[in-house]
Amino acid sequence: MSGKALARLLGFGTAAAMALTQSSVGFVRDEGYYFAAAQSYEAWLRLLWQAPLQALAQTERYWSYNFEHPGLIKLLFALSHLCFSSSVGDTLAWRLPAFAFAGLISYWLCLLGQSRSRAAGVLAPLLFWCAERTFFHGHLACFDIPICAMTAGVAVAWLRGGGPWLAFLYGLALSTKHNAWFLPPVLLVHALLLAREQRIAKLRLLPWLLLSPLVLLATWPLLWHDPLRHLGDWIAFHTHHVHYAWYYFGEVLRGPPFPLFYPLVLDALVLPLPIAALLSAAGVKLLVDFARRRLDAQRLLELGLAGAAVLPFMLRTTPIFGGIKHWLAFLALLSPEAADLVVRIAPSPSLGALAALLPGLWQIAHVHPYGTSAYGELAGGIPGAASLGMQRQYWSNNVTAVLPWLNAHCPPGARVYFHEVNVESYRAYQLAGMLRGDLRYAPSPTNSDYAALQWHREFRDREPETWNAYGTRRPAFGLYLDETPQVIVYARPGFPGAP
Amino acid sequence: MPLRLPSERDWAEAAGALRSSARPGDAVQIWPAWAERARMFVDAAPLLAEEDLAQADYVGVQRLWLLSLPRAPYARNPQGALRARGATAASQEQRFGALALQPWDLHAPQLAADLTRADEEHEVDYVARRCLRLAIGSRIASRGAAGRILHFRAGIIGERAYDKGRPPIVVQIFSGGAPLGVLAVDGPGWRKLDVELPSGPEERDFLFAVSSPDAARPFCLQGWTTR
Repeated sequence: MSGKALARLLGFGTAAAMALTQSSVGFVRDEGYYFAAAQSYEAWLRLLWQAPLQALAQTERYWSYNFEHPGLIKLLFALSHLCFSSSVGDTLAWRLPAFAFAGLISYWLCLLGQSRSRAAGVLAPLLFWCAERTFFHGHLACFDIPICAMTAGVAVAWLRGGGPWLAFLYGLALSTKHNAWFLPPVLLVHALLLAREQRIAKLRLLPWLLLSPLVLLATWPLLWHDPLRHLGDWIAFHTHHVHYAWYYFGEVLRGPPFPLFYPLVLDALVLPLPIAALLSAAGVKLLVDFARRRLDAQRLLELGLAGAAVLPFMLRTTPIFGGIKHWLAFLALLSPEAADLVVRIAPSPSLGALAALLPGLWQIAHVHPYGTSAYGELAGGIPGAASLGMQRQYWSNNVTAVLPWLNAHCPPGARVYFHEVNVESYRAYQLAGMLRGDLRYAPSPTNSDYAALQWHREFRDREPETWNAYGTRRPAFGLYLDETPQVIVYARPGFPGAP
Repeated sequence: MPLRLPSERDWAEAAGALRSSARPGDAVQIWPAWAERARMFVDAAPLLAEEDLAQADYVGVQRLWLLSLPRAPYARNPQGALRARGATAASQEQRFGALALQPWDLHAPQLAADLTRADEEHEVDYVARRCLRLAIGSRIASRGAAGRILHFRAGIIGERAYDKGRPPIVVQIFSGGAPLGVLAVDGPGWRKLDVELPSGPEERDFLFAVSSPDAARPFCLQGWTTR
């Protein structure tokens, strides 16, 4: 099997694994918004088919929703839904493009790994995916896995591709998420640090990136009218992003300055210990070799892109919410080097791979689909993280654990307070058949018959509020991961299921 | 990890033991404070999830049952904090699988009067507190046994406690028309004021008046006297 065929096989295998394990993964808050955006964009696509001129004139109406992210990924969600929803259902249809990007991560990491050895090529994507946090993110119709994939793709294109391919891939990255803004400076510095011949070749490649915004323009119809205003809104949203409360070592962080090493510490705590150790060793090895001027062009680029993925979150002012999802490319770009370390150090590559991957596979088997709750051995697992005072969960997707109970117990038309589950995700659960259509969305515990509370340090007031409203302190049901409360269900006394 | 954590059976057995041994005036403190799955099982006494066992008030509690997960990762030993407040173990620790249950005598001064008599609970500084929610600008009058010391607690409920640049909420406390003390709540936390009561009649009137230029924040208070 050729190297590319092996990479393709790993890519398809990854996408298939995501598709096969997605049904239990809840809809994260952001997905609710992106589903709504995709529905709006799908309506525009239908209009484009029926009345193209009208569609071109009405881009603002259909594309203004979720203006803070470029159009490409949500357009893919919409196209996928348009084509496949009748055969695979709404949820899977929206998420299919995300699985393709998950596959692309494996494909490109395999190619990067294979420049060291074939074994490193196989192991690099496995090291990235064999952790519940990354595996979980691979399932979501969001932008974090796509931008991670596109960062790896731009790396491969920069190292091996021609100008047009690089311009196209960087255009796709730019059209995926604003993390892409950081890539051109890395490529420039990378070019400047290369030996003379390579430097000249790469500096000649760089101007091709000037064409990349055309891809952004083509895939984001919102920019077709008044582009400067919309670009300004996009940039301003992220340069003035709100800070969400985040629980970290017993303290709720609400605003800057954030801890300097926050992203590195969090990686160490949430990843399975062998993977955290290997990625740390890979980072140190790349840095040491950089200092000794022993890095070839590829390893230098991997170091640069990994650094560019994580360093913005060490500025102490960048919003830090969202676990490790915002710097997934940091882990991805260190994976090939980490894979190489395993191959070199372990007595046999298979044994080394087994030792490196087994704890992560156990973590996935044990915690999936509750990925935002996963913690590794260094944190003492989920209960250890609770004792340390770490963020218990985020994004509300864990609510899937209690939906079957609610479906079974709630009387017709019951009012359910879903807490952090937004209206968009609530509707998506009903659309997907995971929540009964007659159950109503209650705005507060006081106005509800049932409450599904998600444990968040900053929302601790909701539970006493529910006790006061219901007159009971005893939960009816709950999701407890390794004893830690995640989602606690209360039922108003007298209602079915109440204790 | 499963060996370090309690099973459903462990919880049921511990709850059963509490049912047979708990008496009025007892409370159950879970440890670590996150182990609130206990709420599904324990019904023999009020269940508390205080985070600072050395400083918690435990109003009216004479005997505290410590229900803990001693093998939970990174969980601190709670017994030192209880000893630091003068509590002593009332009997041997019982084990139910990965759960430990032990009664502690708090040797707390006897409750003279619960002046705020709150049925409701509110979260202040991340702990559910039995306190009375009061609108800013209002007052509450209460009559009760004076005892020796008036204990007063107050705080802003929920996340609004972390609003920056807000004026303090001030509580003035009177007894029989005479001022007893003032507590200013200028941010997060469960603020404390303990005042030795001057000698006088056993039954007295108390008045708590809450004021602030910013009336938007939810606020709650608790007051009691001890002998």
